[in-house]
Amino acid sequence: MSARPMQAQDKLAFLLSLVPFLIEHDGVSVTDAAARFGVTPEEMRTAVRLIAISGVPGESRQYGPDDLFDIDWDEFEEDDRISITHHVAIDDSPRFSSREAAALIAGLQYLSSLPENADRAALASLTAKLASGSTGGPAAVAVSADGGDARVAPLREALLARRRVSFDYRSAQGDRERRLVDPLRIDSENQSWYLRGWDHSRGAVRIFRLDRMSALTVTDEDSSTVAADVQLSDALFETSPDNLTIRVELPESALTLLGEYLPDGTRTAPGSSADLVIATLRVGHFHGLKRLIALLSGVATVLDPPEARAAVADWAQRGLDQYTHTASSTDAASSDAASSSSADK
Amino acid sequence: MAADAISVEERLFSLVLALVATEHGLTKAEILSNVQGYRQRYEVRGDNASLERQFERDKDDIRELGVPLETIESPQDAGNNQNLRYRIPKGAYDLPSEVSFTPEEVTLLNLAGEVWREGSLSSESHRALLKLASLGIAVDDPTIGYAPRVRVREPAFGPLTSAIERQLVVKFPYFKPGERTALLRTVAPLALVQHQGRWHLSSIDRDRDEPRTFLLSRIVGPVTTTRTVFERPAGVDSAAAALAELDRVLQLNTVVIAVEPGSDAESRFVPRAIASTAAADGELPTHTLNYSDQVLMADELASYGPEVRVIRPVAMRDQVIARLRAVAEAHSAARDEAAGAPGASPLTPAAPTSARASRRQAAARTTR
Repeated sequence: MSARPMQAQDKLAFLLSLVPFLIEHDGVSVTDAAARFGVTPEEMRTAVRLIAISGVPGESRQYGPDDLFDIDWDEFEEDDRISITHHVAIDDSPRFSSREAAALIAGLQYLSSLPENADRAALASLTAKLASGSTGGPAAVAVSADGGDARVAPLREALLARRRVSFDYRSAQGDRERRLVDPLRIDSENQSWYLRGWDHSRGAVRIFRLDRMSALTVTDEDSSTVAADVQLSDALFETSPDNLTIRVELPESALTLLGEYLPDGTRTAPGSSADLVIATLRVGHFHGLKRLIALLSGVATVLDPPEARAAVADWAQRGLDQYTHTASSTDAASSDAASSSSADK
Repeated sequence: MAADAISVEERLFSLVLALVATEHGLTKAEILSNVQGYRQRYEVRGDNASLERQFERDKDDIRELGVPLETIESPQDAGNNQNLRYRIPKGAYDLPSEVSFTPEEVTLLNLAGEVWREGSLSSESHRALLKLASLGIAVDDPTIGYAPRVRVREPAFGPLTSAIERQLVVKFPYFKPGERTALLRTVAPLALVQHQGRWHLSSIDRDRDEPRTFLLSRIVGPVTTTRTVFERPAGVDSAAAALAELDRVLQLNTVVIAVEPGSDAESRFVPRAIASTAAADGELPTHTLNYSDQVLMADELASYGPEVRVIRPVAMRDQVIARLRAVAEAHSAARDEAAGAPGASPLTPAAPTSARASRRQAAARTTR
């Protein structure tokens, strides 16, 4: 679990989760407790101080001493340790909400697409436990287990064992090369898996798509670069300033179909007719663009630059050419067959 | 004590404690006048309307965390809002004692929660992990150097999960595959499922009174949540049922394709193939794939341009050819010059009538 700013609701969930943990772990150090909940030590101290002055109105309706939580203040202030000496109302972990359970269950379903997590029986029992530990109905979110990649497991083992890996890699432009890489981090986004690693032939950190790797081997050599040596961003792709600017015309209601190509806050201009708009996109190269436009055939059209239009037209034309060539070769083959069979008779 | 000295979390925490501690429940007046965070702002014999509204919002926030906050009507005085009593039964609040997790399971659940780290469900998964941490089972951090993520880009996801939970009918503009414009749809949302990399909404269409599945990527405008409550089908796991139905539809259709060896198309399609043939001399190996929707599959095949060739069925082949032709024509150099000013109506003449007609025909056959 990692640090992120908490809203009041998250803070409440934190307080309700923290109380039973502290009751069970008498005398736990602030730093240990903070690490368990993914908060800073100061956030942990703030929460403990709040719990220590909280309680129930009680018989007197006045929040008397017996109605409040209490902690060992000396131990807390001098040793930075936490002991709850009196507790009220709650002492057990709270149930999951149905959406919380759904998030975990859908996360499990996603992970089950990886061969190493494919133990269906274990997964089913865990899912059942989460369902019975939550309030509300069955999960309304599910992920089908079809997005895994068998290369994840060996790469992850190599990463944890700090072993260098080698593989054949095909670039977006289609070039192939053997690469020698110290694995640093494995990321996925839905059905796409990526390895970030120190590429020895480039002398730099590079990102690789797992589905473009083949003949993957984990070598006996130790990695010379590990994650601690380099700064890796949580974002997989960072936009570089030298990106190409493309103008695309499409119906306004189709804008969201541009997906990741359309960053938030993209401004559009009026198009050539009332329902059309012109969006300005930034791309690294035409490789992804031509695919996007072919995917949106009849919906989106590139206006400029001319090189982008040419790349798209060429892509579509080469696609079409396969059919004209195949058609003629099939005709030839069948006429050959016809003539040979007639000759046999 | 000044009212603003009490933080929101302290007020919410105090409310939960008070409602767990009470056996018979507390009335709204008792809560507002006694519970920390409310009592400081409560005016005896005064107007507490804004405090009451605060309490209503707090109840919703607490319930959203899975805390079973109950409302009990007084038997003598049914219908009187002021005599409703509120409580949280401890038995329904506590995680049942038979629910326990092994360290291996906790490791896997921590990873499962991290899957939603960004965007949709990130708050829910973060809170689930806090509750998991409360069980105190020590495990190694499974996320070192490892960040498997599900990212839902579709903005409809958030409002839809919320409407599903609250069983409220929603409306949204939907751009059906193969159509040229979006139409407003009114549905009872049941489940959100990811299948073949795409997010789908399983629902009952209110206008047609029939089950309908929608692609989230094609919900092209804001989702409006109405106040109309619907009955969820009882005893049905809608998410599992939706996945099973999508799997069933997937099995119905097959296409045979040839792909360029070593291309992105090979990476994309070959792992999904249900059958493949070896390369005959001079010919590429062929692969048989299942697909759910003819229009979407034709779009996807066309997007790979020269890397994929459709062998059969003929209808799919013709659709892909029509798409490629439309793109080639809309982007041809001749059109470039003829158009003069950029954007001089490149779209309407771009899709030949035959291509559009076949798309419409195909769209009519799909269930979406």
